[in-house]
Amino acid sequence: MSPSAEVALSARDVSKAVSGPDGRLQILDGVSLVVPAGESLAIVGASGSGKTTLLGLLAGLDNPDSGEIVLAGQALNRLDEEARAALRRRRVGFVFQSFHLLPALTAEENVMLPLELEDGGDAQTAAREALAAVGLAQRLHHYPSQLSGGEQQRVAIARAFVHGPGLLFADEPTGNLDARTGHTVSDLLFELNQARGTTLILVTHDMNLARRCRHVVRLDGGRRVEDAA
Amino acid sequence: MNIVRFAARSLRREFRHGELRTLAAALVLAVAALTAVATLGQRVERAILASAAELIGGDLGVAGRRAFAPEFAAQAQRLGLRHSISAEFPSVVFAAGKSQLAQVNAADANYPLRGELRVREADGSERTVAAPAAGTVYADGLLLVSLGLKPGDTLELAGRPLRVAGEILRQPDGGQLFALAPRLIVALADAQDSGLLGLGSRARHKLMLAGDPSALARFQDWARPQLKDGAQLVTVAEAQQNLRSAFERGESFLRLAALLSALLAGIAVALAAQRYARRKTDEVALLRALGLGKQRVLASLSLTVLLLGLPACLLGAGLGLALQQGVLTYAGNLLPAAAPPPSLQPALAAIAVGLAVLVGFALPPLARLRDVPPMRVFQRAIALRPRRFDLLYLLPPLVAFGLIASQSSSSAIASALAGSLLGVTAATVVIGLVLIALLRRVGRRLPGALRFGLANLARRRSLSLIQATALALSFTALLLLAVVGPGLLAAWRADLPPQTPNQFLLNLQPEQRAGVEQRLLDLGARNLNVQPLAVAKLVAINGAAPRVEDYADRRAAGWINGETRLSWSDTLPASNTVQAGSWFDGKASEPQVSIERVWVDMLHLKLGDTLSFTIGERAITARVSSIREADWTSFRVNFFVLLDPASAAGLPHSLIASYWLPAERSADLRAVSREFPNLSMIDINAVLDRVRDIIDRVSSAVMAVLGFSLIAGLLVLVAALNVSAEERRFETAMLRTLGARRGQLLATVLGEFALLGLIAGLIAAIGAAAAGLSLGHAVFRINWTPPLLPFAAGVLAAVALVTVAGWLGTRGIARTSPLLVLRKE
Repeated sequence: MSPSAEVALSARDVSKAVSGPDGRLQILDGVSLVVPAGESLAIVGASGSGKTTLLGLLAGLDNPDSGEIVLAGQALNRLDEEARAALRRRRVGFVFQSFHLLPALTAEENVMLPLELEDGGDAQTAAREALAAVGLAQRLHHYPSQLSGGEQQRVAIARAFVHGPGLLFADEPTGNLDARTGHTVSDLLFELNQARGTTLILVTHDMNLARRCRHVVRLDGGRRVEDAA
Repeated sequence: MNIVRFAARSLRREFRHGELRTLAAALVLAVAALTAVATLGQRVERAILASAAELIGGDLGVAGRRAFAPEFAAQAQRLGLRHSISAEFPSVVFAAGKSQLAQVNAADANYPLRGELRVREADGSERTVAAPAAGTVYADGLLLVSLGLKPGDTLELAGRPLRVAGEILRQPDGGQLFALAPRLIVALADAQDSGLLGLGSRARHKLMLAGDPSALARFQDWARPQLKDGAQLVTVAEAQQNLRSAFERGESFLRLAALLSALLAGIAVALAAQRYARRKTDEVALLRALGLGKQRVLASLSLTVLLLGLPACLLGAGLGLALQQGVLTYAGNLLPAAAPPPSLQPALAAIAVGLAVLVGFALPPLARLRDVPPMRVFQRAIALRPRRFDLLYLLPPLVAFGLIASQSSSSAIASALAGSLLGVTAATVVIGLVLIALLRRVGRRLPGALRFGLANLARRRSLSLIQATALALSFTALLLLAVVGPGLLAAWRADLPPQTPNQFLLNLQPEQRAGVEQRLLDLGARNLNVQPLAVAKLVAINGAAPRVEDYADRRAAGWINGETRLSWSDTLPASNTVQAGSWFDGKASEPQVSIERVWVDMLHLKLGDTLSFTIGERAITARVSSIREADWTSFRVNFFVLLDPASAAGLPHSLIASYWLPAERSADLRAVSREFPNLSMIDINAVLDRVRDIIDRVSSAVMAVLGFSLIAGLLVLVAALNVSAEERRFETAMLRTLGARRGQLLATVLGEFALLGLIAGLIAAIGAAAAGLSLGHAVFRINWTPPLLPFAAGVLAAVALVTVAGWLGTRGIARTSPLLVLRKE
């Protein structure tokens, strides 16, 4: 990572613990990382290593117990929940393993959602363009239950990019898909990442997917153990 | 983000998928029921009031010792009210050398405004007529007998010969039990011309009015400050103590029915909102991850529900108005008079209650969604942070108790209802917890499908408890409507037992007592009750002369300015109960007095106060030693003031008697009348028939309203069960996927719902019986024993209803591909 490049996201000494039946459980222990703008980072590790918790903290969905996270130039721990929500609304997009499309909404309406939250411009036109970009121009009025897994994830990708976020967080984006569909979806993700200059942070078990990222952070028992470029 | 537009879009999308439809349907149904019940109740009550108005000959009146200034009639005319002027006074009537004191009613041509004046004319034909024309009179049978007259003959009043145009058979304002003499109706002009209404006359002048209720209310407001010299308003409700008591109870039943409908709606809305909130949890987590703030989450959810609730309430109100019109068209012959047009006020009130129910019952589960952590988008296992106590949970009971307090006609109804509903809730939760613990222990020994069904109950502990409580509360409300209400109503109807006194006898002198009593008993009189009657004037309360302006109760003026009829007795009269203090024991060193509750409230009296009376030449100051409550519907002679017998000794008095005589023996009283010409005999068979008729009609109308609430309650219950039954869809689909047979699925669902219905039904039966006992005792003053059979049937019906509704709710799954259900989850 070049120190001179603009930093999209940085974490310094981030720790998080939760209370469990056997006392306090340390999920993350002093994790630090820096992601330059427009680059990609994969977080890998075994199940229970703290990958998803780290992703949530980096995206500002929760607060670490200690340490500091700076997203788009703003220290998250100095923002209250409302301000963090506003930051996510404008700067962040998400892709989830289980797609998280709203079942009551059509594909088009699901994609319109981030723009409606921000009250930004012609949501319908933007949503149609985004769906066309992921090859689903013919599926505008389908409900999630009427779409295949791969199609649902493409709708989710369209939703993640539609409002032009600076950072995209993806949690196991191909985890629920077969190898071929997973490959198509990851191609789409990286193409859009490249084309739009978005910073991509993803959590995955899939080392092939991780290797397509510029940076890889490995977690083990909540600690950062090694990097692989 | 434009939150209103966002909420509107969410609503449009979600409504299309039917999730919110259940909530809307519950609300529509609830407001429809409330509107229908309240509007119907109001119209029925007004129709009954119109019929009761017959008893006073109008909807409203003013009465006083002086003729009313022309402005009163002019004001009535301005307000578009019909009016009739009359005057009542005692006067001696002569005919063929005989004389008889009569109670004369001099009325103008508009009399009667309400009810029917029916006479038998000289040719024997019966006709409904207005007041007699100048120069003619109508006389009642007793007067004709005592003067030896028949219709067509002539009598003399104040020196004027007047022709008897007919014998009075039925007279609207004949319900005054204390009319002292036989009655005679003359033309007002004749009375005025003969000077009977001039200075020094003892006439009681009346201006009766009839017409639009709002105009009547305006007249009442206008007239009140103008009333002088003891003049009083005569209202339907105040005119007859007996009838008023009957109305209050009838009205209580109506309000009870409407209130229970509202509570049922609350239960359904709470269940639907809970289900909606559960479904929205993942969506809220996503929206929060995508950057929607906490307050906006709450605002958007509340707006979505409100945008749904408002039209639902309006639709419900429209439906309710249509339904009540339907009921009235169908059951219109139940009413004594044509129902007045509906007013919008009950519908608006129902909409307000509907919105209060929506906010009160739907807000708590929705508001909790505010706290859904956005991290849940990654880790679904993250639930809402459990809270031991949340102020929001107090909202539904607060709204429920607010409804109970505002809709109940008395605090006794409110506390009986609130107490039983609280008891049912507490009992269901405790018994539910114990049973669930038990199921966990013994469930393993049950056969397969049943075990799975019962395990579902134990596993979803909170949902099962919520559901059991909702069902138990619903069944309590339904049992109150279906079993307790009609039971109390039947007890109330039976409240006028056979041999209720139907004859009154006044002006009996003490020395005539033995002779008259014997004659009456020979005629077959029963329940003979003779009491002394003295006419007194209240001159001081606690040593100070009472002033009318010190008392808000308008009735006080009558007693302060007028006369008080009091009595004495060494034993507590039947149909009286001592509420405070103790009955006379004969040992007191100073005069004592027992007063009825009405006087306590009206004159702000308490035990130990002193009342001073003048009775003839004597003055008595007595200390209040007991407070009584008299049953005014008993038709026995009741007194507000009773003196202790020792202090009353030697007071100038006459006697008053009440007794029951078979109707066919009434004619034989003429002989007694001739033998004791000073006696005033009053035959109240006609009044009693009227009261029975009105009670019959009130109870028929109330039954119609109860029946309607019952149907509404059942529909709400089914809606609530359907909502909860959807919880089972996923498990049923899973079982089918794993190859479960239809019979096994049925056993699972039936086992689970039958147990739920049994628990809810049993607790509800006990709760409803307790509420019924409490209502019967404290509110309706009726001895009512919970009937075992209907309650047992109620429990069985609860089991059947919950089982069938639960099965219907999950039945659809058997026809749908399990794959579709599983994919939706």
